[in-house]
Amino acid sequence: MRPYRSLFLMSLRRMLTYRLNALIGWLGGAAILISSLAVWNALLRNGDIGGYDWETMKGYLLIAWAMSAVGTSYGDWHMANRIRDGAVATDLTKPVDYQSARFAEQLGGLAFELVAIVVAALAVIVFTGGIPAPAGLGQGLLFALSFAMVVPLKFIIWYITTMVCFWTQNYLGVAWARDAVVWVFSGGLIPLSLMPSWLGSLAAALPFAGLAATPAALYLGQASGTEAWKLLAVQAFWLITLWLGARLLWRGALRALTVHGG
Amino acid sequence: MGLVKARGLTKVFRRPLKDPGLRGSLKHLVQRKFKEQMAVDGIDLDIEPGEAVAYVGPNGAGKSTTIKLLAGILVPTAGTVEVIGVRPHVDRMTNARNIGVLFGQRTQLWWDLPVRESLTLLRDMYKLSEPFYRKRIERLDGVLGLGELMPVLVRKLSLGQRMRADLAAALLHQPKIVYLDEPTIGLDISVKDKVREFLRDLRTDGTTLMLTTHDLGDIEDVCERIIIIDEGRKIFDGPLADMKDRFARVRRIHLQVASGYPQKIVEKLPGVEVSGELPEITVTFDRFAYTAGRIISAVLEVAEIGEFHLEEPAIEDVVRKVYAGELLRDATV
Repeated sequence: MRPYRSLFLMSLRRMLTYRLNALIGWLGGAAILISSLAVWNALLRNGDIGGYDWETMKGYLLIAWAMSAVGTSYGDWHMANRIRDGAVATDLTKPVDYQSARFAEQLGGLAFELVAIVVAALAVIVFTGGIPAPAGLGQGLLFALSFAMVVPLKFIIWYITTMVCFWTQNYLGVAWARDAVVWVFSGGLIPLSLMPSWLGSLAAALPFAGLAATPAALYLGQASGTEAWKLLAVQAFWLITLWLGARLLWRGALRALTVHGG
Repeated sequence: MGLVKARGLTKVFRRPLKDPGLRGSLKHLVQRKFKEQMAVDGIDLDIEPGEAVAYVGPNGAGKSTTIKLLAGILVPTAGTVEVIGVRPHVDRMTNARNIGVLFGQRTQLWWDLPVRESLTLLRDMYKLSEPFYRKRIERLDGVLGLGELMPVLVRKLSLGQRMRADLAAALLHQPKIVYLDEPTIGLDISVKDKVREFLRDLRTDGTTLMLTTHDLGDIEDVCERIIIIDEGRKIFDGPLADMKDRFARVRRIHLQVASGYPQKIVEKLPGVEVSGELPEITVTFDRFAYTAGRIISAVLEVAEIGEFHLEEPAIEDVVRKVYAGELLRDATV
């Protein structure tokens, strides 16, 4: 554990070095939150849509936004650039597992993201007159469990897409495509239940639902009992599958690795 | 027992072949063509503990690729490789603990943190004990002058300072074998000397060294064995002195002639060349055909010599010939 703890602390320290950078990123994130709140506020003024009233929607949007803020401040671009310019060669001479090392670095950013999330939640509460509390203690715990899986799940989806750099040497397009897919299929754009039912069911079966829709449903009490555990099981299934799949992909990636010059 | 053992080590890179411009790129999408490039072509290597090996060859000869295969960074296309009983690409992490690697053209330090932080992170990565770490730092400080660099941000270091810090990073865990890929590139003379001195020190500690370099001073100062590769193949592997014997056949004697007609010796000694203008001339000859004494006595028969000096073959000349493609692979091994 010692190498990974140290990598975690190092990444935390780097975040401190680049705090201004992070702050600007979060301000941009806050703009998205504010605008989606404003849009839904207007839409819901004339009554519920698909079972969402304003209060519930506020809770949903805040959670979906919070989940999207997790694990974004450190990691994928850094890793992508190191693969593209060949600096990954020096990473490979270290006696640490590459995947775990990158995860430890990503966790280093989490501490700051949590602060940003709390600040945003407080702001929403103050300016919009509160958000719904979790639907009971049980649901709160289920939400916490789901949130604990969001962090590694998000990491592994980002990690896998970043690995594409070993083949394409280009990351921008991959990152854009992934962000768009995640935004739609995680329920970040609109709740999955408001989508056409075939699209909603498809999204629910994909790994991305575990990034926002699942924790939100648990928090708001839209899924409880067996239904809740089923959602958690799907989330866990994808986490484990992708975590192991990434290791297989990594082996292929190393075969494709070309380090130019020096 | 060999420390490094490679048999038929081969690495082929596949590069996309694109016609120029946007049109070429679009065409490549439909009709994918690749070119196979043989970076390392069936190399056999045996390195014994405590050796210092220079690994030289022109740009693109496959030096860095070999190092990366030995370090477990690249997966070989064919052939086998073992470093201290470990296959590097299979058991990368075990191999990483045994080896130290320096890439002169990149840093392995964390760019935006002070040197000290990078070193403590490496301490944790290699799971070094605190007393061992402190002892190593003290030792490295002595030879590399690390102390003054410790609090400096890596991106603010000069190239020479960065190389010193990088050397410390590569050697912190006291690896049994160290690969140095152009360790003196871009350094000024005084820093170069320091680095070379440090490398000699390492050897006396019993560390095995393998270094790729374009700097022939590095080779003569540090190494006793030289491996020359070109186009991914080995063209020479042996002691430095042997290489001079084998390849540096041509010798020169510079003469100051007081009087006479030294050109006349060409008639008596076929194959010898005389160049230059009187009174200073140079006689070039094949050292296996004639001895220096024979040349001098021949000249003395036709001229009077004032001063003379014999030019020893420099490895520089040999390596330069390799770079220029003058040495043929099959003519040697």
